[in-house]
Amino acid sequence: MFGALLVAGIVHGLIIGLAALAVTLVFGIARFPNAAAGDTMTAGAYAGLAAHKASGSLLVAGGAAMVASAIVSLLGYLLVFRLLARRPVASLLVAAIGIAFLLRAALGLAFGHQQQVFQVPLAWPVEVMGLRIPPMDLTLAGVAACALAAAFGVLYLTSIGRQMRAVADDPDLARVSGIRPLRVMVALWLLAGAAAGIAGLMLGVKTIVSPEMGWEGLLTAFAAAILGGIGSPAGAVLAGLLLGIAQEVSTPYVGFTYKIALAFVVMLAVLLVRPRGLLGRVEGLR
Amino acid sequence: MEAYLVAIAIIAAIYVLLTLGLTLQYGLTGLVNFGHVGFFAIGAYASALLSLQGVPLVACFAAAAAIAALAAYPIGLVALRLRDDYFAVVTLGFSETVRLVITSERWLTNGVQGIPGIPRSFAGMGVGMPGALATLGAIALVCMAVALMLRRVVRSPFGRAIEAIRDNEDALRALGKDPARFKIQVLALGSALAGLAGAFYAHYITYLSPDQFIPLVTFYVWMAMIMGGVGRVSGAVVGALLLMLFLEGTRFLRDLAPDLISAVDMASVRLGAVGLALVVFTLFRPQGLMGDYTRR
Repeated sequence: MFGALLVAGIVHGLIIGLAALAVTLVFGIARFPNAAAGDTMTAGAYAGLAAHKASGSLLVAGGAAMVASAIVSLLGYLLVFRLLARRPVASLLVAAIGIAFLLRAALGLAFGHQQQVFQVPLAWPVEVMGLRIPPMDLTLAGVAACALAAAFGVLYLTSIGRQMRAVADDPDLARVSGIRPLRVMVALWLLAGAAAGIAGLMLGVKTIVSPEMGWEGLLTAFAAAILGGIGSPAGAVLAGLLLGIAQEVSTPYVGFTYKIALAFVVMLAVLLVRPRGLLGRVEGLR
Repeated sequence: MEAYLVAIAIIAAIYVLLTLGLTLQYGLTGLVNFGHVGFFAIGAYASALLSLQGVPLVACFAAAAAIAALAAYPIGLVALRLRDDYFAVVTLGFSETVRLVITSERWLTNGVQGIPGIPRSFAGMGVGMPGALATLGAIALVCMAVALMLRRVVRSPFGRAIEAIRDNEDALRALGKDPARFKIQVLALGSALAGLAGAFYAHYITYLSPDQFIPLVTFYVWMAMIMGGVGRVSGAVVGALLLMLFLEGTRFLRDLAPDLISAVDMASVRLGAVGLALVVFTLFRPQGLMGDYTRR
């Protein structure tokens, strides 16, 4: 029983980790919590669903989800957030909520409000060390691992990734060093969107696809980003895994509905006890 | 027709009260409260449950405001240590947690089935128009009192202090004032207003369920505040009335042509319109229609 919950928790945790990665990158570099991240996930899930229906391939679905969410995310930046760069953070927060509502409304109108599922073939679970694991979980874990590897590759092995981390560390110093902010921001929003898209696709495959799915996962993603330490990609993934496992393992005790509440309690506790999270840096300013 | 007008006037007045609370918190003090609906829900449920235990309604209303303010206190303590952006996330999480507790704790709140048969306010004056008119009169009086109080607050030393928190917290601290105390007071007071609005709502609708307290309600109030004008008492009133016009207008449109668009699609259109309004106002008119044109 515990083993099965643990496996479910790891898969769920990878999904949260990817979503938290999207949140923490934007929070660390563009410096506000993007409430539209959840609905960007939803957009990816629907794009993936449509591609999966048309092609039957989960790989194609993953590609479609990434591309769709990356585009949505970039449009949000170019059309709204870029124009608000010099405004107080409250403006960005309100605008992000507005974008989230717009996205959810558009998806509901375009794809309908009924819950949809990915038609994936049922398969016998495989036995690994006495644990029975559904093959789909292995596939999803593989997908998540590849996506995370790709994201970390971009962040730590490419020039644009280095520039992004430089902006996260010190925006002014980065600008003085000749890093062009617009390029970094475009790359940031594309990367964050793609991560959110994969998270949305995985959540859709694992559970159901509905216009509300992303918004409902938003709080958990915020909690993981804060627990991991804002701006820390590795922290986000680690915290996502911890939260995912905690949520699944605690479900028999606290019930299904309190999953999100657990995320909230974790978030409060982290903010009060260790605001910089597990792997975050101490922020010099404020 | 008159009954309909009175009904929407009551709901509009409830939104006015909610918007006044948010104006105090965000408009004047700069606290980004994304969990307003949580305090609204606490007030509504507190008053409903107490009244079903036979507590007189006046005491229920007072308790609703007090309990909502008490609930805001711990959130305020947390908030003192947080930046605006974290505070927004925490309050949003708080309101969702309130809704989850209402959904889950069936022994107290009857869960998703909701609480029916909540005593109607001014039921002694008759079920139809007289009772509704008395309710409208009462809530209108409360709104006016609160609006007048806020106008006085703006001109008081307290008002100057909280506006300083919004504009330059460090300067306030340099003057030897403690922003923390002001923030907690403002948060508790605004939440008490939301709780009071919740009590009016509970005893007018007479039925409560968790899905009446989704985060969208918080952002209805934000939309009202931003449309009306941030930091303006008159703006809160105008904005809430505009919001009501929008909410009833979209319902009216659908009633005109029910075959054209389904109820769920209309809900999406409404959600999208709220989102668009939030984005467009933030981008192009952050001070709102009646906003303070001299600042920001």
